[in-house]
Amino acid sequence: MRLGVYAARALARALAPEDVRERLSRARIADAGHGYDRLGLSREGALAAIAGTSFLYERWFRVRSSGIEHVPREGPAILAPNHSGTLPLDGVMLWADVVRHGDPPRVPRIAVDLFVPRLPLVFTAFARSGAIGGDRTTVSRVLADGELVGIFPEGVPGIAKPRSERYKLRPFRPGHAELAIRHGAPIVPVAIVGAEEQWPELARIESFHAFGAPYLPIPATPFPLPVRYHIRYGPAMDPRPRFSADAADEPAIARGLAEEVRQAVQGLVDATLRERDGVFG
Amino acid sequence: MTGVLVTGATTPFGLALTHALAAAPDVTQVLAVARETQWPGASERKLTYISLDLTRERDVRDLLFGQARELGIEVVVHSAHHRSLRVHGPRAHALHVDATRQILELVERHPSIRRFVYASSSEVYRRGAGLPSVIGEGHPIELSPEMPQKLRDRVEADLTVCARSGLSRCSLMVLRFAELLAADSGSQLADYLGSLVCVRALGFDPMIEVVSIEDAVRATLAAVASSAQGVVNIPGADVLPLSSAIEAAGRTAIAVPEPAVELLYAARALRRGYEFTWRMNRWRFRWGGVLDGTRAHEVLGYVPRARVDFRAVAQAAHPGTST
Repeated sequence: MRLGVYAARALARALAPEDVRERLSRARIADAGHGYDRLGLSREGALAAIAGTSFLYERWFRVRSSGIEHVPREGPAILAPNHSGTLPLDGVMLWADVVRHGDPPRVPRIAVDLFVPRLPLVFTAFARSGAIGGDRTTVSRVLADGELVGIFPEGVPGIAKPRSERYKLRPFRPGHAELAIRHGAPIVPVAIVGAEEQWPELARIESFHAFGAPYLPIPATPFPLPVRYHIRYGPAMDPRPRFSADAADEPAIARGLAEEVRQAVQGLVDATLRERDGVFG
Repeated sequence: MTGVLVTGATTPFGLALTHALAAAPDVTQVLAVARETQWPGASERKLTYISLDLTRERDVRDLLFGQARELGIEVVVHSAHHRSLRVHGPRAHALHVDATRQILELVERHPSIRRFVYASSSEVYRRGAGLPSVIGEGHPIELSPEMPQKLRDRVEADLTVCARSGLSRCSLMVLRFAELLAADSGSQLADYLGSLVCVRALGFDPMIEVVSIEDAVRATLAAVASSAQGVVNIPGADVLPLSSAIEAAGRTAIAVPEPAVELLYAARALRRGYEFTWRMNRWRFRWGGVLDGTRAHEVLGYVPRARVDFRAVAQAAHPGTST
């Protein structure tokens, strides 16, 4: 096992940009005493993840980021992006973008689907960089601790959209809105453009459910295409002036807020699509 | 001013608790009860030790309505259970469950006892990939029939106490401790770390949480003094990946495919007589899970702070395996 740790350290030293290493050293991580927080995030793990995603972020997807100043500097907050791309590389790029550009630096806790913890190696690597199980209890605890959480409110249906419906957002599940109201956490709508075209899906095996996966996608290419990613953050939607914490128990209020967030994300997506210079530009 | 009865008083936790209670200024009397004929600790002015088999109903009745009443016992801390997984059958069930039920029934009509604190364990919580990583008091309970009897008994006893909460004349509290990592405490992890080489499942490195005896005692003292009811998780100050726990114990970790791990530990248990079983721990050693200590903080003012010396525990678990 320690071999893996040594390899991660060497990778981080070799590939993580110096400025990002410096930023990560300033990020708040609630060390539970052994270099990890209670859910497994470690500074070294985050650094290794930055190193491991550097090529994808800088060279392959050439991510353009705008509006990061809308991400709250402290306290609980929820990033609510659209979801797409055959495989969820959009979550990885969003995580890398916030770590690289957030000011002050924060490590977002990306909530993953409940089947992800079943995946050997994958979830361990995700957890070391801050990913958390997407269940209500865990997300609620993390928000109560004042952390920044990334939730994809479309869930798997977002990533499973047919090509003809790309960038048409699926209905947002209201869980993120409920949690935002309960914890007084601003929701930052986020548009991720480029991911829809990153990896065309040739087919899918619907009957494949190993490790609890909803299906097995068969990509048309062995590697994702070098599309350009655009990540755009919109103004934070703060539920506190409008709702008391108890309003989280009102289904209509949570659904209404979720729909407002969906419209905000759709607006950001549409604006980014209008402005972008082609899929690869 | 309080008199306290402690069952299971000769375990490392019971001993430490008994001494801490005897040293507490607001505790008037400590009545320590265990099966051993001799009290293994130092004698204290406020301490009375009684050797007793809690599975004998008449003896328990005599204890509670005899000496406990005479000493003005107001609080019972029930922590008696077998530490070995190998103890099974009706006798083990009688101690784990029947004795708990009987003590609970007796204290409800006892003239002086007003509070019952049950020392349970986070072992009662189910672990799984689809379950929350943060374990609150409402987390699903492990009810799988394939678990060892000791665990099933602990679940039954825990739920027996919970079922009386709010119905009893006494105030009831169930403390669900993170794994109490100490030698001779029945800790599966301590036994696991006793080997020079610790084998774990390839691809999984879950977060493990342990509590020290010092913290467990501090939480129990707070529970004795409190009047709050219900279930309270007692987290520990050590939360770390399994691989780091192995390293902290000075052991060598090897990751192999999971079916091989189960076989290896079954063979180890058969050949060397070790207590650790992979079957009981496999979900925890895949997906971990950490206790949410919010309620402990709110209700008991408890925050974990004492760390465990992993190396000392591992060496004490199996002397002769020092590195």
